[in-house]
Amino acid sequence: MNLNPEFQRQLYLECSKARLIGVPLVLGIIFALTYFIDEHRLGSFTAKAALSLFMFITLLWGARQSVDSVMEEYREQTWDIQRLSSLGPWEMTWGKLLGSTIMVWYAGIICLLAYSLASDHIASLPVLFFYCTCTALCVQSASLLFGLLAAQRGQTKSGPVLLLAVVGFMLVAPWLTHLSEVSYYMRPSATVNWNGILIDADQFHRISLLFALFWCNVGNYRLMAQELGIRTYPWVWFGFMLFLMIYLGGLIPESSYSFSLAAFGVCSTLTYIGILVERNDAMRAKRLLAYFSERNWPSFSAELPVWWLSFILTLPFALWLSLSEHPMRQVGMTFHFYPLAIVLILLRDCAIYLYFIYGKNPQRAFNLTLLTGVMLYGILPGLFNLIGQQSLAALFFPLWANSAGGALLSATLQAGIMFNLLYQRWKLNI
Amino acid sequence: MHQNRVLSFLYGAQSGHIPFCPLKWMAQNHHYGIIMIAVKNLVFDYPGIRALDNVSFTISAGSITALVGPNGAGKTTLIRCMAALERPVSGSIEIAGIDVAEHPRACHRILGYLSDFFGLYQRLTVRQCLHFVARAQGIPEMDCETAISTVSQYLNIVDRLDQRPGELSRGLRQRVAIAQAIIHKPRLILLDEPASGLDPEARHELAELFLDLQRQGMTLLVSSHILAELEAYCSDMLILRQGQVVEQVTITNADARQTLKLSLTHPLERLGTLLRQIEEIKLVKIEHNQTAWLEVSNNPEQQHRLLKTLLEQGLPVCEFAPASHTLQDAYLQTIRQSR
Repeated sequence: MNLNPEFQRQLYLECSKARLIGVPLVLGIIFALTYFIDEHRLGSFTAKAALSLFMFITLLWGARQSVDSVMEEYREQTWDIQRLSSLGPWEMTWGKLLGSTIMVWYAGIICLLAYSLASDHIASLPVLFFYCTCTALCVQSASLLFGLLAAQRGQTKSGPVLLLAVVGFMLVAPWLTHLSEVSYYMRPSATVNWNGILIDADQFHRISLLFALFWCNVGNYRLMAQELGIRTYPWVWFGFMLFLMIYLGGLIPESSYSFSLAAFGVCSTLTYIGILVERNDAMRAKRLLAYFSERNWPSFSAELPVWWLSFILTLPFALWLSLSEHPMRQVGMTFHFYPLAIVLILLRDCAIYLYFIYGKNPQRAFNLTLLTGVMLYGILPGLFNLIGQQSLAALFFPLWANSAGGALLSATLQAGIMFNLLYQRWKLNI
Repeated sequence: MHQNRVLSFLYGAQSGHIPFCPLKWMAQNHHYGIIMIAVKNLVFDYPGIRALDNVSFTISAGSITALVGPNGAGKTTLIRCMAALERPVSGSIEIAGIDVAEHPRACHRILGYLSDFFGLYQRLTVRQCLHFVARAQGIPEMDCETAISTVSQYLNIVDRLDQRPGELSRGLRQRVAIAQAIIHKPRLILLDEPASGLDPEARHELAELFLDLQRQGMTLLVSSHILAELEAYCSDMLILRQGQVVEQVTITNADARQTLKLSLTHPLERLGTLLRQIEEIKLVKIEHNQTAWLEVSNNPEQQHRLLKTLLEQGLPVCEFAPASHTLQDAYLQTIRQSR
């Protein structure tokens, strides 16, 4: 049988005889203990233990396994061997994702089996199992995604990525526990108004979860394709933006501005995310300029940073929102919503991040940007506000300005200064 | 015995699924002449440093080319660009007519790559490592055992198949890494510092192995600092310095001419004039009218006739032998000239 080679390699690594015997043995001992606690039957304690173990195993251990399936290649310097193989990106993605977590699922299935034997609400099992499986797959896929992104940035320690998995676990675990309770299934059914269509809330959550799983794996596929040297164009990023605009726009009460507002929010957020997740070294900008001057459009489009695409798409929506009336024009007495000024502030923040990336210690760029953000968004405007200098505060945080023109001027000034500094540093780097 | 090993490796190629047959391919391409690698105006930058500066060269199929140069000359970067592991700023690389930037996966199928850190899975056995690479390179499951057996016999690692790479010596680990690089019988093998850390015996075996691979029609590009070792098997030399190709020279060629050293018992003023009059000779250099380096035909019969002519001309010949012009001499000469 021609098994996926990467999946097979992971089987070699994971499925040792000791593990195959040890895992059910340890779980068996635990469930034997809960059996005695439950007074010689598989009762609620066993069910809780089984579900908790399932979550710990599939979410935390699974996330670690997924991250390490890539990071370990970098640490052991075997990644080039994989990149030079004739495996395709999809084979590589599913081979790593399912292969590295094979023991996780082996243990997870035993836990679900114990849960189904101990649960007194059999009717809820299919729904619960669906959520358990999809959530675990989603967290594991997201972990692989973060692992690939971290490895692309030359990071070989999986600790910071696993921290994200712990956060994911803390978010997901209470929700899954709630799903396992009988009261959840006794509550009156709720609906979600999406784009004027009333959809059963549970149905909506299930579809959303499947979409999250889908996009995580599309992301994995794309990153893997990039690693394998396959030229990728930013269509998928564009598609993801469009999906989020429609998905989130549908949740905003329907009106003429709902799509624009969602689009503006999505593009702005994805600009920040895009710049953080991609490699943004000075040489990339140089390569981009070289491709542009050579009119090598395929290479230019492949090299184009995704945050540029998000940022460019922010502009028409910002303009549309600036010209239209909407309830977010004034939030409170002092805070104003100036979309064009926000766009320029967004540009300034990106320039700050790149400025630190082009510095001597790019590993600290994110922390330094956060620190600068706290200064610019909080401490300095707060200080000037406290001493009654609102106009000076607005200079640092243009959304406090009383006029859109003032906010725009201040934001332009800041973006201009930052870009000038960025250009100087970039010239030093190339 | 050695011939048998080569033949068995070749038969393995013919019985496998890979359509490429080195012998047939060799016959079709006559070794030299067909271009295996064509690099044109390649530019690669690291922050603040131009690692490859407008590099252009071609490498013939069936050759073993030594890629030499001082530390930081850009050797590893060049090899990684050729393997599509790095993306250059500009320029193009074609391997067997395939554009590396456009079709990296197609290139990966016809090349083998040995990095300076070998890239072996420490948690797998040698057999599992080879099995994974064989499958990842597209060899069907049913042919894997044959491929592993053939390549492990060829590299003398049969008795190590059930050991893990961490349990092996550096020389054996390197053999396993080479086995990984050639298991799919690539047309081109890129080797980055393959002999570093090996003892003289292991280096000698490596040279023999590379010559074997060349005989099978594979093209090899070997980057190394150890010029003496390269001399044993390289047919061409590509010298890189500060990211530029300083020179590309042919070291040996079966059909080419040979450099001989002619020494006289005492200096003779008319030596230069006399040698220039002989048609079969291309005078390379004369020292003190007593020693001369001549480029002559490789044919022993012709060399014999030439010596006879020289003696008939009354030259007091005391030495007429192949010049010990080493690769190191050629390299140092080129580097000096490029300064």
